[in-house]
This record gives sequence, C-alpha cells and structure tokens, in this order.
Amino acid sequence: MSFLGFGGGQNAQPAGAINPAQIEMAVAELDMITDVFNRLVNSCHAKCISEKYHEPDLNKGEGVCIDRCTAKFFEVNKKVGERMQAMGGGAGGGTFQ
Amino acid sequence: MDQLNVKEQQEFQQIVEQKQMKDFMRLYSNLVSKCFDDCVNDFTSANLTTKESSCIMKCSEKFLKHSERVGQRFQEQK
Repeated sequence: MSFLGFGGGQNAQPAGAINPAQIEMAVAELDMITDVFNRLVNSCHAKCISEKYHEPDLNKGEGVCIDRCTAKFFEVNKKVGERMQAMGGGAGGGTFQ
Repeated sequence: MDQLNVKEQQEFQQIVEQKQMKDFMRLYSNLVSKCFDDCVNDFTSANLTTKESSCIMKCSEKFLKHSERVGQRFQEQK
C-alpha cells in the first residue's frame, strides 16, 4: 500500500535491527492517510448531513450524498495532484490512489 | 508499510496505538463541539431539554454512521 513510492532496495535490515528511517516513513504515510480521511469525513459531513437531526440513521439522501461526495473528493484529490505534478515536477508529490 | 521487518513492525504498531488513542480523544471533543453547536441554542435553563438531548443523541449517532460509511468508501479506493 505504499503509494508514496518509498521502500525497496535499501531496507536490507534483516529481522532484528530497527531502521528509524523506515519507521519514520511508515508513520508519515499513516499520518497522510489519516489526514486525508479526516478531511474527507469533515467535508462530506458539512456538505451532506443536515443539522436538523430528524433521525439517528443516515437517511437515503444523506447516504447517496456521502457516496458521491467521497467519490468526488478522490477525483479532486487526483486532479489537483496531477496539476501540481505537472507544475512542479512532483516535488514531494504524494498522489493518492 | 509492508517492507518493515518484524521488530520494526512491532515498533510501528506501538506508534499506531498511541495515535489511535489521540485520534479517539480528538473525535470525542470534535463531536462534543459539533453537536453542542448544532443542538444547544436555548439558554433559558441550565439543563438540557428533552429536545436537545434527543438531538444530541441523533447527532452523535449519525456522525458515527457517517464516518463509518466514509470509511467503507475510503477502503474501496485503494
């Protein structure tokens, strides 16, 4: 699941030794995924969930909205990523997906 | 994350657990703010009205269901 394109090659640490750089990269990856997820939850909640709270369950409209909202969010993520990659030769560019 | 060796994976797992705890606390305080803002607007009494309590119950339950659904869609992406 390494979409940042790390790893491969230099991780010659046999079972036993800890390579702090490896850990750091894994943590960075985790942080990035968590961040995307949290932003996704917040944006789509703001856009799809009515603050009237008529019922505790997601109603039909809200459910459909969430599905479309997440799909669009990923599309935007990809589009912006591509734009930025084209601009800056992908400096540090973590494209999602 | 799969190119970590066993020792590294253990270390990473510990970090993940610490982060989960933090995440949980963050979720909790966010949810309190969100539901308080959306449900509590009347300060003629110091106690929550039944209407407010019911709103808060629905607000928090709905939020959890929302993030669950987003989580499913998120998982399918990769």
